Amino acid sequence: MRGVIEGGWEFVIAAYAVTAVVLLGYAFSVCWRLWRAPRP
Amino acid sequence: MGNSRWPFVVTGLGLALLVWGSVWGLVYAPREVYMGDVQRIMYVHVPTAWNAMLVLTFAFACAVLSLLRGGWGWDARLEAAVEGGVVLSALLCTQGSIWARPTWGVWWDWDPRLTTTAVLLFAFAGILALRGFVDDPVKRAVWTAVAVVIAYVDVPLVYFSVRWWNSLHQLQSTPETVSRAFHWPLRINAFGVLFLMIGLVELRARLAWRRRAAESAPPLPSRVAMAAGRL
Repeated sequence: MRGVIEGGWEFVIAAYAVTAVVLLGYAFSVCWRLWRAPRP
Repeated sequence: MGNSRWPFVVTGLGLALLVWGSVWGLVYAPREVYMGDVQRIMYVHVPTAWNAMLVLTFAFACAVLSLLRGGWGWDARLEAAVEGGVVLSALLCTQGSIWARPTWGVWWDWDPRLTTTAVLLFAFAGILALRGFVDDPVKRAVWTAVAVVIAYVDVPLVYFSVRWWNSLHQLQSTPETVSRAFHWPLRINAFGVLFLMIGLVELRARLAWRRRAAESAPPLPSRVAMAAGRL
């Protein structure tokens, strides 16, 4: 026990993957809804 | 609300900056001495936290302006900012949970920072739900603006919780508390999320504006006739 975290890349990859999915998904969702919305 | 292309350009710029900052943080930034590679989560977690609070501060400003000046433009921006803030807050809690597991040994802890952030998420998600339940546009605008002003009280609580109370969470990450070797990927990703949210909040406000315009538009005679079964 040295107080140093070894490894942990699976957590790093999970955090970046979640970030990419949420931000890209939200961007796509906004563009899609705007494209389908009625034009005044 | 205009129809110019600048929000798409700003959104694209934000995504490009996020890719650049993330590659820098994952590949070129040095390992942290105690947390090792797990610390690289900071390059997405901290920009998400900063921008969540920034977007919700914009929602608060829109709520105040909506109440003081009126006008559907502020209401549309308020709706857009609240939705963006909810998305970033949910992402923030998820990233934090993933980071907590290898560093604290648990996925979640009811410590002051995490608890106030969870309250923030559910309060603003509730405001979005409230908008969906109210049919009268005027009541919807006033009630949600008042609710945003009340819920915004939690934002400074989230920010200062790590200083005011004994928290498991570390102090706020700022250029003063983070080593210089980590500054650039953090800054690039912070501007990436900022530009992304500026573009998306503007586009989402246009969507709210269009829905509002369609809501108040009188039904076309042919539609009325169709509804009455005459066509």
